[in-house]
Amino acid sequence: MVLDRSPNLDRVFHALAHPARRAILRRLADGEHILSELAAPLRMSFPAASKHVRVLERARLVRRRVVGRTHICRIEGKPLAKADQWLEEYRRIWERSFLRLDALLDQMQAEERDKKPDHQEH
Amino acid sequence: MQKTGTLQVATPTDTTIVMTRTFDAPRRLVWDAMTKAELVRRWMFCPPGWSWATCEMDVRVGGTYRWEWNGPDGQLALTIRGVHREVDPPCRVVHTERMEMAPGAGPCAPDGGAPEPWELVATLELTEENGVTLMKMTLAFGSKQARDVALASGMEQGMEAGYQNLDAFLAEQDRR
Repeated sequence: MVLDRSPNLDRVFHALAHPARRAILRRLADGEHILSELAAPLRMSFPAASKHVRVLERARLVRRRVVGRTHICRIEGKPLAKADQWLEEYRRIWERSFLRLDALLDQMQAEERDKKPDHQEH
Repeated sequence: MQKTGTLQVATPTDTTIVMTRTFDAPRRLVWDAMTKAELVRRWMFCPPGWSWATCEMDVRVGGTYRWEWNGPDGQLALTIRGVHREVDPPCRVVHTERMEMAPGAGPCAPDGGAPEPWELVATLELTEENGVTLMKMTLAFGSKQARDVALASGMEQGMEAGYQNLDAFLAEQDRR
């Protein structure tokens, strides 16, 4: 895995460790937002939200540009931004369960065969 | 022909998740494995470090079920429960699903507190052809936001399970 060698890893982990920052990322997943839009649903002041965005910026998960007095944020890490990445992770989690189900079904079928040793499968 | 398929996940509408997969076993066995509590707890979703706390299922119309998991700290982390609305063995079952996460155990509310519980209606359909069973599971959420939170919960679990999903992201960062 490339994970352990990345100098950015700690910053990414740190950035993702806070629920407010995950909420910001989720919000940005559907496109650009101005900072005050991000702050409002979090019931946060502008400076507090700005601080969280700063942490996300340092982890290179979010990019901010300032136009006049407006701070516009967008997500940077493409894999985190994309709903299909969420989908893939969701799929992987369920697939782990279904692989266990495959094994269970194999076992159930073997047990059935053992119970009826004389029975000819067709 | 490959009889056991890899899971496909799709979002055909803004409020649904549809999972399809084949199993190399007759439908009646797949039905049992998915509707009998003692079998369900042997395979169903259990994030690394978690353990089953409760698995009870009364698969009859109006019957309830309750699944509970403890987190790595041994405390209750997640409850999924609901009522069976339609039961047609071994083909189809429709149940409601209400998920409640303990604070800090899953996707958090925007204010960082315990997340709102979310509800969905799950429809499981099983069809059999030549001894192979096709499963179709449709999860219908109340809103796009609720659906997205459910999808995001997978993301967060993935992160807890070793941040594998960040592989691609970090590889991209490393190339810069």
